[in-house]
Amino acid sequence: MASTVIAQGMTIEGELTSDEDVVIQGTLRGKLTSKDTVNVESGAVVEADISASSLSVGGQITGNVTASDRVDLMAGGRLIGDVKASRLTIADGASFKGNVDMDV
Amino acid sequence: MARASSSTSHAGSAVLGKGASIRGRIAGEGDLRVDGTISGDVALKGDLIVSDGAEVVADVQARAVVVEGAIEGDISATSSVAIRASARVSGAISGTSISIEEGANVSGRIDAQFDLPPELGGKSGR
Repeated sequence: MASTVIAQGMTIEGELTSDEDVVIQGTLRGKLTSKDTVNVESGAVVEADISASSLSVGGQITGNVTASDRVDLMAGGRLIGDVKASRLTIADGASFKGNVDMDV
Repeated sequence: MARASSSTSHAGSAVLGKGASIRGRIAGEGDLRVDGTISGDVALKGDLIVSDGAEVVADVQARAVVVEGAIEGDISATSSVAIRASARVSGAISGTSISIEEGANVSGRIDAQFDLPPELGGKSGR
């Protein structure tokens, strides 16, 4: 199990910082920084800028996203904001609006 | 332990990991276990566990509260509050029943809402 889980039904307004992986199933407004993986699961709502090593998006994100490794937009995921990552995948069925910077 | 019934419906249980910190407001339906650091406000419908090594600087509202780490702020529980031996608490504590283990460091007001037994309470409860 992930070290930090923001469960469904839970809302955070503010800043979440973690050295370890984070799973969001609930709602987060503010800012999210992790040195490890961030997983925004289906049903989650995030209105925050996110910085992580890798990010997978099955839920909804409004905010700019930076990953040192990769960003994966899964089917059903929704991202409104700019992506800065060296690797990005967008699955069939995902929605995305924003700019991509792959830092080439 | 004070994990009161299973009335948490479908709201899952949340964990704030050891290397994690939250600055701000946390509200939720389910349970929360804190191994990391929180500064702000916590309001839960479920239970709150503050593990040994965790640090919470916040006023806390929850159903049952178990403290093994440090809380600086008021604790207000609709159910029981258990202060374990490793805990440090500074702030007012209120709940239906409050237990403090030997070795815990507590400073603040304690407000337990319970009915006094007749031999202590007399006729009019004081």
